[in-house]
Amino acid sequence: MESNIFYFYSLCVIILGSAAGIILVPRMYMAVISLFCLICSSGFLYLSLNAKYMALFQFILCGIFLCSYIFILLKKINRLNLKLKLVNPIKIIASSCWILLFGILTCLFFNEEFNNSLYSIFNFIIEKSSDTINFMEHIFPLHLVILLVIVTSIILRIFLTTQTVPRNEEKK
Amino acid sequence: MDFMLNIGLMHYLILSLLLFLIGLAGVLISRNMLRTVMSMFIITISVVLNFMVFGHYCDNTMENANIISVFVLTISVVQTIIALVILYKIYQANEYLDAEKIKDKEN
Repeated sequence: MESNIFYFYSLCVIILGSAAGIILVPRMYMAVISLFCLICSSGFLYLSLNAKYMALFQFILCGIFLCSYIFILLKKINRLNLKLKLVNPIKIIASSCWILLFGILTCLFFNEEFNNSLYSIFNFIIEKSSDTINFMEHIFPLHLVILLVIVTSIILRIFLTTQTVPRNEEKK
Repeated sequence: MDFMLNIGLMHYLILSLLLFLIGLAGVLISRNMLRTVMSMFIITISVVLNFMVFGHYCDNTMENANIISVFVLTISVVQTIIALVILYKIYQANEYLDAEKIKDKEN
């Protein structure tokens, strides 16, 4: 029991620290390392929720592929040592106030919705389906999504190439 | 004191909310667009955490949570990579990734 509490709170500190690190560390490569730490620590949190496949999936997809992609991109554009730049202080104060307000409103919503009766957010999905769910049947549309994303990325790439080439020529 | 010691749904929801707010703060206060993209990914992780927690505490099988989380995470990673490709193209055109400089240039 005590080990669970210690595990949860230490993971909370690591997760929040890494998340704050992504936006506040002075150099860009540190932000990528923070992102990696965040992904790994949230994976450990999923393990405590008995979701080992999800933890593994997140580690492979985000921890290995996404972080290395960002790292390679930064290296390619020579921005690994890019310094931290924030918006001006007035905007920071205004954003903080807005975020605080948003946080308070969300806490009030949680309190109203979950204080007396706890309901499942999955009810709207499963109420008309059968009791047994075949994972492969539900995962099938993922192929369509991936196909759609690849087609969109190709179109975007063609569009951006034709848009950016004239600008470079203008500079010359 | 009991609330602190008995780890339950509310603890995870508070963690998820804090993570979401940090991500939102990153989107709002960062001038570097790469950091903005990474902050958006923090928001996604908080959303996925929410799904997993609701799956664990409200749904016995965890299947729905896993399915939705896999979808959300995959789409989010692909969207992040597309955003990074767009940023790379912007960098090639302008040679900087500062949102305010790009906005000034557009004006």
